[in-house]
Amino acid sequence: MSLILPTIGFSLISASILALAAVGFTLQFGVTNILNLAFAEVMTSSAFVAYWVNSRGISIWIGMLVAGLFGAILSLLINRWLYRPFIRSGTRLFGLIIVSMGLALIIQNGVLAITGPGFFTYDQPHGLAFDVAGIRFTYTELAILLIAVVAMAAVHLLLTRTRLGKAMRACSADSALARCSGVPTARVVDIAWLLSGALAGIAGVTLFMNTTAFSVTTSGDFLVVIIAAAILGGVGDAYGAMLGALIIGFATEFSALFLNSAYKTAIAFVILVVVLLIRPQGVRAAFAAAREVQT
Amino acid sequence: MSNATQFYVTTLLIYGAVSIIACWGLDLQFGDTGILNFAFIMFQAAGAYTAAVLTLGPSTQSNPLSNYQHYVFGASVPYPVSVFAAALVGALLSYPIGVVALRRLRSDYQAVAMLVVSLIATTVVISDTGLLDGERGLFLIPKPLRDSADTLLGYQWLYVGISCVFLAVVLWVIARISRAPLGRSLRAIRESESAAAALGKNVLSLRMGAFVVGNMIAAISGALLVQYIGSWSPNGWLYPETFVYLGAIIIGGAANKLGVLIGALLLPVGISEGVRYLPSFGGPGFVDAVQFMLIGVLIIAFMWFRPRGLVPERRRTFGNPRWSFRRRTPGAGVATAMPSADEQGLAG
Repeated sequence: MSLILPTIGFSLISASILALAAVGFTLQFGVTNILNLAFAEVMTSSAFVAYWVNSRGISIWIGMLVAGLFGAILSLLINRWLYRPFIRSGTRLFGLIIVSMGLALIIQNGVLAITGPGFFTYDQPHGLAFDVAGIRFTYTELAILLIAVVAMAAVHLLLTRTRLGKAMRACSADSALARCSGVPTARVVDIAWLLSGALAGIAGVTLFMNTTAFSVTTSGDFLVVIIAAAILGGVGDAYGAMLGALIIGFATEFSALFLNSAYKTAIAFVILVVVLLIRPQGVRAAFAAAREVQT
Repeated sequence: MSNATQFYVTTLLIYGAVSIIACWGLDLQFGDTGILNFAFIMFQAAGAYTAAVLTLGPSTQSNPLSNYQHYVFGASVPYPVSVFAAALVGALLSYPIGVVALRRLRSDYQAVAMLVVSLIATTVVISDTGLLDGERGLFLIPKPLRDSADTLLGYQWLYVGISCVFLAVVLWVIARISRAPLGRSLRAIRESESAAAALGKNVLSLRMGAFVVGNMIAAISGALLVQYIGSWSPNGWLYPETFVYLGAIIIGGAANKLGVLIGALLLPVGISEGVRYLPSFGGPGFVDAVQFMLIGVLIIAFMWFRPRGLVPERRRTFGNPRWSFRRRTPGAGVATAMPSADEQGLAG
């Protein structure tokens, strides 16, 4: 019993970080249909931009904003300069994965070449811990939770209350049909990349804030956890991704109660394999009907 | 040649042979069949671990080699048996993974499934230290047939010979597959799964076949490598290593044996050796990072400027005289690739 409450706390934090990343990933994947293997690298590079800002003596929260901006611009440029020309020249799914693989190698090792293989920490407020319903949160953890909730609410409002959100959902469900109905798909795709990059940047900073020390490789395996959450929720479905993040956040943290904690991320991988086997459309049936994941 | 040069040259030849074997195995899956196997390096590792464990001797107190490291199922089998066992393990491991990853999913989902399998394998091997000695890896793996050569240099040349034998066997196997009706079916699946299925090809079992044979070849390359270098640890088979082999195939020319051979010599061997001659600069790890960046740049550049590689896949046509000279078996040279495939490059 004594372990359950703190574990719920950890789970909520993991789920928050994962939700930020997974929603960003799924928005872009849904709209563009490109499996962007470089997503985790956008997270890493943005988080290191935040580190650079932070090491100049500026608050980490400002650093997070800068990281979000950097991630957004980087993603937009990746789309404009890399993916879009390839799509226009007729490269399809298979080739695009390879291009994104090359890009991931470039960004990851570019950051590594600049920062070196050492470990880094943000200069972040440590301070008080708060008791919320019997669970102890540090100041940073509460902030991460809050950021995630606000970001999710913002995505929800964007998708349901604005014309842009409607256009994004239309592109995600059927891009050709959306274009026929007069949706400016190229612009929507650009915005999806911007949004996904911004979320990636923020998620990267929160991920690194939540670890004691980070290096270039910290977010290496995290990409697969993100993909697990996104596919569990059904690709392109932002609410599904939130749900997937919650499920995977709780599953990984609670598994540590029973298993060697080294297997924490492996649990997420196993969930992904099971989902791919049983239900590759994701858990939310209504949304899944529109998508074609099985050839 | 001085002894030092000979030593260097033989080492390069062995690395080159291992790299070519691995790339041919991966190309059977990627170039011929269109399977994006992101877990390829895991099968190489499986072969390497199998060969290591089968030559280190039983894991008992009396065996001096097993006092410093932990592993399961130790044995000392005579030489070629360890390589055959590695190939067998590679094949057996392919089946459960193929069942998950080769189902009729979109190719990006398949790629993700493979990536996950590779990551799970790394996690398990690192976390469960009793299995294969965890992060430290296995070491002091005995060199096969060491007694048959008097000097170390003589042994180097002997191992070059052994590598070339395996290279020839693997080439024979993949060339046979590629020339046979089987190879034609595989290429048909690559071009259009549904068209191949409509013509009565069992897509799943054919893809599984290519997957299994490719992974067996990967395991052989791993066994060959581990028995030469004598140690193997998880850091040597992290998933980006698969990208290096894939990059070699893309640069050389997918589905062209000669092209893949050139790519295999250029990328994994050529770049790391080329970097060796540069004056050292930057912090620790800088040169390695630049090396991987260069591979990424090359992959993207080739995908853009020359998506079919340095030596593109040969167009197989009925009237090609080079074919009719060699073999007059009916159907041996029938056109296979659908016309659109040449325009599309790797797509599909």
